[in-house]
Amino acid sequence: MINAVLVFNNAGQPRLTKFYTQLETSVQQRLISEIFTLVANRPNSACNFLPLPPLLASSSKSSTPTTPHNDMPSLVTYRHYATLYFIVISTSTESPLALLDFIQVFVQALDGLFENVCELDLIFNFETLHATLGEMIVGGVVIETQLEKVVEGVKAQGKVAKRPVNEGKGGLSLAGFGRGDGVWAGR
Amino acid sequence: MFLSRDRSCPLALHSTVHEPANMFEKSLYDLIRGLRNHKGSEKEYITESIKECRKEIRSNDMDLKATALMKLTYLEMFGHDMSWASFNVLEVMSSPKYRHKRTAYLAAVQSFRRDTEVLMLAENQLKKDITSPTPTVISLPLGAIPHVINPSMANSVLSDLLPRLTHSHPAIRKKTVVTLYRLALVYPETLRPAWPKIKERLQDENEDPTVTAAIVNVVCELGWRRPQDFLPLAPRLFDLLVTGGNNWMAIKLIKLFATLTPLEPRLIKKLLPPLTKIIRETSAMSLLYECISGIIQGGILDAVEGTPEGEEVARLCVGKLRGMMVIEGDANLKYVALLAFEKIVRSHRNLVSKQQDVILECIDDPDISIRMRALDLVVGMVNSDNLTAIVGRLMRQLRNAPIVSATDDLSNDRGRMTGVVPYAESDDSDAEESLRPHEQKSDLPPPLPEDYRVSVIRRILEMCSRDTYANITDFEWYIDVLVQLVRVSPATKSSAAPDDGDDVDQPDDVGRAIGQELRNVAVRVKSVRSETIEAAQSLVLVDRRDQMFPASGNGGLGVLEYAGWLVGEYAVYLTRPEPVMTSLLHTSSAQLSSKTLAVYLQAVPKVFASMSGNDQVSWTPERKTLMTLLMARIVHFLEPLSTHPNLEVQERAVEYLELMRLAAEAASGTAAGEPHGDFADPPLLLTQAIPALFSGAELNPVARGAQRKVPVPEDLDLDTPINPNLHNLLSQADFDAYQSDEDDVYAAYTEPIASSSSHADAPSTTTASARLDAPPPKDKEPSSSYQNATEEEYLDADILARRKADRKERYRDDPFYIDAEARAGSAAVTPLARIVRENNVELDIDAIPVMDLDLEKGSGDHNDQPPVRARSARSPRRKARRVEIVGDETLGASDADADSSAAAGRADIVPPPQMGRGKKSLLEVDSSGLSALALDDEDAAGSRALSHIHAQQRQTEDALVQRALQEVERLRLEMQRASERLEARGEERVVRRKGGKRGARRVVVGMGDAREGVGAEGEGEAMVGMKKKKKKKIKKDGDGDGEGGERGEGEVEVTVKKKKKKKRRSVVMGEAEAE
Repeated sequence: MINAVLVFNNAGQPRLTKFYTQLETSVQQRLISEIFTLVANRPNSACNFLPLPPLLASSSKSSTPTTPHNDMPSLVTYRHYATLYFIVISTSTESPLALLDFIQVFVQALDGLFENVCELDLIFNFETLHATLGEMIVGGVVIETQLEKVVEGVKAQGKVAKRPVNEGKGGLSLAGFGRGDGVWAGR
Repeated sequence: MFLSRDRSCPLALHSTVHEPANMFEKSLYDLIRGLRNHKGSEKEYITESIKECRKEIRSNDMDLKATALMKLTYLEMFGHDMSWASFNVLEVMSSPKYRHKRTAYLAAVQSFRRDTEVLMLAENQLKKDITSPTPTVISLPLGAIPHVINPSMANSVLSDLLPRLTHSHPAIRKKTVVTLYRLALVYPETLRPAWPKIKERLQDENEDPTVTAAIVNVVCELGWRRPQDFLPLAPRLFDLLVTGGNNWMAIKLIKLFATLTPLEPRLIKKLLPPLTKIIRETSAMSLLYECISGIIQGGILDAVEGTPEGEEVARLCVGKLRGMMVIEGDANLKYVALLAFEKIVRSHRNLVSKQQDVILECIDDPDISIRMRALDLVVGMVNSDNLTAIVGRLMRQLRNAPIVSATDDLSNDRGRMTGVVPYAESDDSDAEESLRPHEQKSDLPPPLPEDYRVSVIRRILEMCSRDTYANITDFEWYIDVLVQLVRVSPATKSSAAPDDGDDVDQPDDVGRAIGQELRNVAVRVKSVRSETIEAAQSLVLVDRRDQMFPASGNGGLGVLEYAGWLVGEYAVYLTRPEPVMTSLLHTSSAQLSSKTLAVYLQAVPKVFASMSGNDQVSWTPERKTLMTLLMARIVHFLEPLSTHPNLEVQERAVEYLELMRLAAEAASGTAAGEPHGDFADPPLLLTQAIPALFSGAELNPVARGAQRKVPVPEDLDLDTPINPNLHNLLSQADFDAYQSDEDDVYAAYTEPIASSSSHADAPSTTTASARLDAPPPKDKEPSSSYQNATEEEYLDADILARRKADRKERYRDDPFYIDAEARAGSAAVTPLARIVRENNVELDIDAIPVMDLDLEKGSGDHNDQPPVRARSARSPRRKARRVEIVGDETLGASDADADSSAAAGRADIVPPPQMGRGKKSLLEVDSSGLSALALDDEDAAGSRALSHIHAQQRQTEDALVQRALQEVERLRLEMQRASERLEARGEERVVRRKGGKRGARRVVVGMGDAREGVGAEGEGEAMVGMKKKKKKKIKKDGDGDGEGGERGEGEVEVTVKKKKKKKRRSVVMGEAEAE
């Protein structure tokens, strides 16, 4: 299952935090900053999977392959779009490549809702950001991966606002994202 | 849908639509704008804003409340606590407006924690919203429940959730399925009523495909816990796999089948065709990958092994995985392929070993994630043939990459230093351009992160020491590797506190781990003991410190603790005892960590004993002078340490100080013989007494836990004081302490500094050969070769030089070994060379006899390769040389410690893996509760397990009833006492009421426990109605006893609910204990 979904920008400022377990606020912040430290130093050619941050690694080191440890978060997947990092922390029951596609759908859905989405849209409408995620994951289990259905579900909750005028431009440049797109057509 | 336009107006625009009544009221939009306008003073601005929110949230205007909540939720994202607002969250939740509800539910999800107390009050609201006629409203609790659920609440909302499984809206159905799953995680009983309904949804072919997909996701999560329960579903799941067009669902199905096939081998034949079809046809790489991974993990490869189609499948899978590894430009595929290999390396080691070439390449991948995976993988696939190659590669990496300096590390760690300051700055459009360009500063490889470095070193040690060095064929090589590892050790972080007292071992101190290995080899492998001591000696020598240890930082110094012990314990092996002694007594030694210093103190007399203890040599004036001088130096070193803050150091220093003073007296008191005259006896204290302290039975490795098996002698008396006069002695010692302090001061000023000359000597003890040792070449370019690393690439020059000399010595008489220099023509001794030289005159090719062919065959590799490379080719032959490795000694049969003694060989290095679930990981959602619950009552497959579980449950329940009854009795007594006390002080009415209430509630809880146990054991569901009635009665009794007053109907309601909750929780707890 999925343990957490995080979005933060190039400076490490959170734009969305969603933990599917109850966690102390300070621990949440530490985890975010640990993951940011890991992700910020990666070159663009590197793969989209992070080693476990120290907070998570310390407790999972002791696991042996024989004992079932599927409950343990073991995979940190990320994608980088323009100014934003999208992070998914999950257990080994999720497929790593499929999670990359999942993030892609998430961003595409946001793009569909905001029309050429950019970081500002997400700052000012973080409730919509949560709603979109809520249409895709409930309680750490993925419930929807089809773009249209996600967008439809969010729109059913009410009109999605555009960002206030005069607040900047430039989107997440969907056209340019997804280094692996040429290699596999996901979903 | 149900919303009118203006209602759905987003909050961001809120203030522009309605002019707020209060001029100072801020919308979320204002807050964010404000943050951006207060760059540099965000903290003050946020504090101010939270203050405003506190005010706004108390107002009666629901809009205002909701806005404040929204702002708080936004700030919570940056770590600003909003737990104080949890009650207000509930208030807004109860608003009739959807927009308010949505805000409140989001706030609840983001801010409620395990200890949030208002949760019980939320229950009613949740139930109400679940049964709402509006789908969007239903979605809110469905999304929130997984975040806030606890067992008692689960029990309560379950009955409202179940009907939602048949809601007309597919979106509601799929969310309900998932919510029920999360309910089951905290309250496994959920599945009893829920699973049949979920299964019905799954079997229904007319069900909306998205709902089916969601159910498959849940089944997959449940599946690995209890695969046997899902076998009956296999036909339906198979249909979905074959017909369903949803890749995400197909991936989940394949993962599920991989857990089912071991239980039902017939599935394999069914699965193979569709899986190979997918592999060949799909365009989705993720699906392709999961197919392969499923085939391998599900044991399908093993099952079809030997058949022609099996061969084909194996070739297909491994071929594709290999393709992923070598494909250009997609690091992700490389990563997941390594992941797949890692999963099978233990079961299919040969399959993985065939891909060794591409896997080893990944060890040097620039991407740290890939390196880590590859590192994990190679540890699993190491054997005696590839050990040297793998370790060589890792060593090369460690050696060539610079060690990160502390300042680098800190600057990277922005988050921890400053914390995240919330401001939204990103409207400067060049923020997009400013993506880190990641310029390579130089040709040097990027510095390795410290934890990676530590992890590599530990892995190397782990690989080499596995199964008590089963994989090592050449221990001299291993010793060289260890010495080299010291040089590449990263600095330890705990250097600030060297007086660590008794804390076990710092995880980041690899120096100690390396030291332990050195010690292990020295003790276990007698045949290389002298070489090991040689290595320890070189580590201890102060004048070689710069060369043997990392240039910067204090990395690897932990090894000295063990090297110090080795030079002391095996002092007879020392080739240069005098310099070793000088190093031990060096002033810098006193700066070492107290642990190491204590070891040094023990080593000093040992080395001294070996230097002075010879009774065959006459006590000449020369010897006498030497010994006196040596002892004076030791005394000089020990004296300041006798007041060392560390007790261990202090004690040893005091003991040996006295011993040395005695010895010095004895030495000066014994008259020396004539230089060339008769044999003069050296003092017995030096030749007999001191050596006798340290000689005796040889040390052997002892298994962990063996000590515990030593029986306690019957006559051992631990109670009688050894000295009844202890108290007086101590006070006397206090008195003495003053005196000795003065002594020290006096001595410091008056005694001649006998050993000052020895420090001046120190440089002169450097041997010529040591001075000739060139520093490691700095500009050595990292080899781009994908061949195995040659020793030049990972061992430093001085180590190599020694190896070469050793090798030359060893192979002088080996006809198969052709020395590089010998070949140059100087001193050829090989038969071939001799023949060639003998026939030198006319170089008759025919004269080269047939044996030449044999030679070529035997040493083919060596002729065209430099001798250093010969190692790898030599290894099969080297195995013939038996190296005896001493195993652990233990007492009696290794019964309970079977596993620990098996691992004992490396127990010092790698902590034994924690069995079971010791510590729960952060973020982890524990699903172990599910494993005790069978899902399918009517299915044959499930019933076997079920009966077993029933029996277990019954036992548990019996125990539970017992415990509950005891508890009831205890509480009854307690309450009785309480009421007596209350009667005593009749005037404090408020207090009395409170006490009474609590007492009453507690009693009800206890009774509820008892009844639940009985009910579950007996008639089950039929009991429920009766139970409730009984409970009500009891509760009334309780009220009567405790309070004796009248109470409104509403309060009765609350009590009933509380009681129910408590009861459920205790039942669940009981189950957990039974597992």
